[in-house]
Amino acid sequence: MSSRTTRSIAHYLMLSPFMLLFAVFFLYPIVSGLFYSFFEWNASQTSHFVGLANYTKVFTSRNFEKATWNLLIYVSITVPLGIFVALSLALLVDSFSGFWAKFFRSAFFIPVVMPLFLAATIWRWIYAPNFGLLNTILGWFGMPSVQFLNDTGTMLYAMIAVDVWVSAGFNMVIILAGLKNVPRHYYEAARLDGASTFQQVVHVTLPSIRPVLFFVITYGLISALQVFDVPWLLTGSSFAEYGGRANALLFPVMDMMGRGFGSVRFGQASAYGFMLTILIVCVTAVMFALRKKFGDA
Amino acid sequence: MSFKAGFGLSALAAGALFSVGTAHAQEKVTLEYWVYSDFAQGEALKLQQSFIDEFEAKHPGLTINIAGKGDDDLLTGQIAGAASGSGPDVFMNSTSAGASLVQAGALKNIYAEWMAMPDSFRAQFNKDLIAMCTPKPETMYCIPYTGYGSLMFRNLTVLEQAGVDTKAPIKDWADWLSQMEKVKAAGKYGVPDMTQNWASFLNIYSGVAEASEWGADFETKKTLINPEKYAKTAEFFQKLKPFSTGTNINDQATRDLFISNELAFYINGPWVNPPLEQAAKASGLKYDWVMVPGATEGKKAGVQGYEFIGVAPKANSKLAFEFAAFVTEKQQMTRWAAALGRYNSNVESLADPSVSSNPLLAATYESAKTALYNKPPFFLGTFPNSYWSAITDNASAVADGDMKPDEAASELIEQLNEILADG
Repeated sequence: MSSRTTRSIAHYLMLSPFMLLFAVFFLYPIVSGLFYSFFEWNASQTSHFVGLANYTKVFTSRNFEKATWNLLIYVSITVPLGIFVALSLALLVDSFSGFWAKFFRSAFFIPVVMPLFLAATIWRWIYAPNFGLLNTILGWFGMPSVQFLNDTGTMLYAMIAVDVWVSAGFNMVIILAGLKNVPRHYYEAARLDGASTFQQVVHVTLPSIRPVLFFVITYGLISALQVFDVPWLLTGSSFAEYGGRANALLFPVMDMMGRGFGSVRFGQASAYGFMLTILIVCVTAVMFALRKKFGDA
Repeated sequence: MSFKAGFGLSALAAGALFSVGTAHAQEKVTLEYWVYSDFAQGEALKLQQSFIDEFEAKHPGLTINIAGKGDDDLLTGQIAGAASGSGPDVFMNSTSAGASLVQAGALKNIYAEWMAMPDSFRAQFNKDLIAMCTPKPETMYCIPYTGYGSLMFRNLTVLEQAGVDTKAPIKDWADWLSQMEKVKAAGKYGVPDMTQNWASFLNIYSGVAEASEWGADFETKKTLINPEKYAKTAEFFQKLKPFSTGTNINDQATRDLFISNELAFYINGPWVNPPLEQAAKASGLKYDWVMVPGATEGKKAGVQGYEFIGVAPKANSKLAFEFAAFVTEKQQMTRWAAALGRYNSNVESLADPSVSSNPLLAATYESAKTALYNKPPFFLGTFPNSYWSAITDNASAVADGDMKPDEAASELIEQLNEILADG
């Protein structure tokens, strides 16, 4: 056996614990999800093959269209807005040093470590009609009370605000790490060339942290497509009743969970899950293709 | 030492050794016992643990592990556990989740074990609830355990400030509205938004409807909601709107408004009493509870719901059933009710003087006599996922003035029947 082959075997052996765990906890659920999506199955009794019936049932259900539409609006707003806020916070923190840098970094990170049920309770208070914090402030300006979490016109945007608040700290820390790696002399050179602060951000900062932004955008898209906990908690959902008024905060993962554990239709839930997996894989592939096309540095 | 004494001691020692040996020879069995999280905290946990200790003492070699779970975790764990075999051996859940658990194969048919119990045990339980657990002949899925009946908590400070005579009972909806007008005039809120969740909706709808006019018929796939009575309820929601906080009954904000003397009426289950009791001690909250008023004098409203204890179809199901029977038996349920003021399904325990003297329990018992069951029928079919939200969405739309009550009623019935037909 050549030394190269021996080295390869050693490498594969070192990779094997990961590959084993990946196969058991990632590949197997995906493959079994695909398998059960063609069966009517209630988790314990014998399943029977139904072909594409579960996919048809999901596609033609009244909830699917609503959940997909909500998801589309949500993703198209929350990802760019979240990254814009995180980038702004990172630039702000980066402009400080010493105590204040640490203070702001910690303060902006608090929502990330706060238990989500607690954050949701706080936000339900902030959004409460008539006497909630936000409505009290609106009242000072003579504006009428808004039912942020019970008016179908505002619910999605109210939820996006909470979502951005929760995720901004995490993205900020990652972007901040990228900012720290930008050589300071780039800025000095730009200043000598007469670049304004805005021009420095656009022409120096953003190109320099492109790999970090790629990660943040891709991760943000994948997370947003799987949104579940924030709308679930804000609407006080349960497996019997979820999505808020007129399903204004209904999203695919919520519907999938409801079909699985509320109605015990695991075949439909698997079909839903598999479709979502395909969507996420496609979006991620597009992101990587774009990165390849436009370069990462 | 005489021979006799020596022999006696030796015999005792041998006996002791034999008994120790027998105990060691007992098969080690562990039962996983899942309960709602509030059963596994504070005083409730202490009491549950004492039931476990007593049962374990009678069954050497047995260990029972109690685990508290939130509503969703309890259901998902039991369903997923039924598929994988890793779920609990004995567990509680709401009867409204019963059909899902039956469908998932999480509940064993305990009819034979139940019938083998002495008559004196079987006679202890509420007969309607035994019928609920026995949806088909010779098919029994549970033993009724704990339960609730909704109550209307009144903030006496708010009512007194509004000039309402708190000693006079609320006769009907009209009387209730007139009290809320006074409350509003005093700058306070009357009620939470009663259209935001199915339980608060039912607390109002039950003020006009009878038991046969709620739930669904899974054979014909039709809702049982009476459209005329729904329209009356919807009309009442429109009248309630000006007095509403706009918050859900389960919001922390709603409870805080009641505790801070900003809200007059708070309809919910008896489980909200402990924080109110605490507020009474800490900040002088003055409150009481009465039955939820109905539309007309003499008619009472309210929701009643029950939790059951069930056994998984696993190797130790016989022992799990014995434990379930033990905790639901009169002696345990009397201690449970007396110590915690919690309602249960054991009628004999509720009649015990140590229990019936508890004012909250007495009121809950009274409420449960006339209240409508939460999500009937139980153990027969699962409600499609949009059934309950269709009701609350429709009620909210009427309350906001987006639809007229009559139109809303016919639209809702049509929608619910479609949802049931779609499955």
